[in-house]
Amino acid sequence: MGGYGDVKLLREDGLRLDGRKVDEMREVEIEAGILPAADGSAWVKHGLNVAVCAVYGPMEAHPRKIQRQDRAVIDVRYNMAPFSTSDRIRPGYNRRSREISKVTAEALESVVLVERFPRSKIRVEIEILAAEAGTRCVGITAAAVALADAGIPMRDLIVGVASGKIEDTVVLDLDKAEDNYGQADLPMGILPTTGEIAFLQMDGDLSFEEYNTCMEYNLKAAREIHVLMIDALKRRYLEKNGGEA
Amino acid sequence: MVELVPSLLRQELAALAANDQRIDGRGRWDSRDITLETDCLYNAEGSAKVTWGDTIIYAGVKFEIRTPWPDRPAQGSLMCGAELRPVAGRKYEPGPPSPQSIELGRVVDRGIRESGCIDMDSLCIIPGEKVLGVMIDIHVLSDKGNIFDACALGAIAALRTAIVPAERFDIGEDYPLAVSMTPTMCSFTRVGGRYVLDANDEEELGGDERIHITLGDEGHLHSLQKGLKGTFTPAEFDEILGVAQQRCAELANLVNSKEA
Repeated sequence: MGGYGDVKLLREDGLRLDGRKVDEMREVEIEAGILPAADGSAWVKHGLNVAVCAVYGPMEAHPRKIQRQDRAVIDVRYNMAPFSTSDRIRPGYNRRSREISKVTAEALESVVLVERFPRSKIRVEIEILAAEAGTRCVGITAAAVALADAGIPMRDLIVGVASGKIEDTVVLDLDKAEDNYGQADLPMGILPTTGEIAFLQMDGDLSFEEYNTCMEYNLKAAREIHVLMIDALKRRYLEKNGGEA
Repeated sequence: MVELVPSLLRQELAALAANDQRIDGRGRWDSRDITLETDCLYNAEGSAKVTWGDTIIYAGVKFEIRTPWPDRPAQGSLMCGAELRPVAGRKYEPGPPSPQSIELGRVVDRGIRESGCIDMDSLCIIPGEKVLGVMIDIHVLSDKGNIFDACALGAIAALRTAIVPAERFDIGEDYPLAVSMTPTMCSFTRVGGRYVLDANDEEELGGDERIHITLGDEGHLHSLQKGLKGTFTPAEFDEILGVAQQRCAELANLVNSKEA
């Protein structure tokens, strides 16, 4: 959150630098079932972010020490491709990707009916191919669609969305400049049907009122993305059945 | 993860080979359909997506400013790496780079490097102080066989469409990277006792050794590699080299058709 105040992020007319209104999210496109090698997969483009997710399983959990007698474990790997950012990233796991993987796994465990698959493992591989702020949210959305495409029972989908604050104004869905020079970022994983929250992180500075506005924006965005997720899964289902519903 | 199928699969592949057939109905020297997209990733200076049958890979090119190697003060550098992350298939496990991914990256790297398609002298900015490093990273997303050819195709296509971000490095205006040739790779796998072009995942699982041939313009050889257990005769090599000559030219045309 370094250096806020010195970069102009809102225009004279109240719109943001890319022309969006404060409560407008970037364009989202979703495709389900794009990776033939995987049991379930999804591709999500959110603004300039591109995330691909593959799901494998449920399969035998090994090594055996990770097995749980009463439920499946969800093994999430969030990874950024070396060419996904403006400066190349050294391949491999780092502290940031480990943390995101951990909290994403816990969020997905809250919606997947893990008790249906004792002693097994579900692998969720999130690959960020292009990054422009908000990749963890895009990864969560992709993971939810891929899990559904794999036919894994869930009590709801989960949608990754974020709001934040720039120039003392709450805005939905920060882009890169807003993330770098803004005052706060509040990413969430929301269950769109019930409005429950399964993923939450935040950094920066928000008043209670500002938090409430963020929450309102996030819920609104989650409902919009939910429609696109359902639509992508329906298209995939029709394709699998040769166009017959 | 251990694959349990091979012995039954081997019998089936051998029976098919006896009738000159393949498990997916292709002829011996037929490739699967290939779709090549370039300039498809924001943030990469050059990028390509290759859909090769059901195999999917992405390649991205990044540049960096670095100090030259002491023994080559006026030359830039090229690096090509491939990642076989667990996303690519059930059999891939997380962990440090596997011998397979290192071989893949290095074989693709050699084909590009040895063809001389990048003039290392042209990557020099200030001799002894500043040179450009070109990094090609390949990401395998779905392995359904013959990732070598798909990766080599993606790498050269990403390279041929790469723009050097000179403005960001304060060394003038952005310009397209000069690439003087289009080396492409053709791989053959022994399946049911004889070589076939472009093996799919089942043929790889129930097959034997493989040979990777990288040819540049005018059909010159730039990189060869034999992988896995098995031997071949000079006559067998002559036969597949003939197929590779024709096939590599077609692949190079595909790459060249994508240039801006």
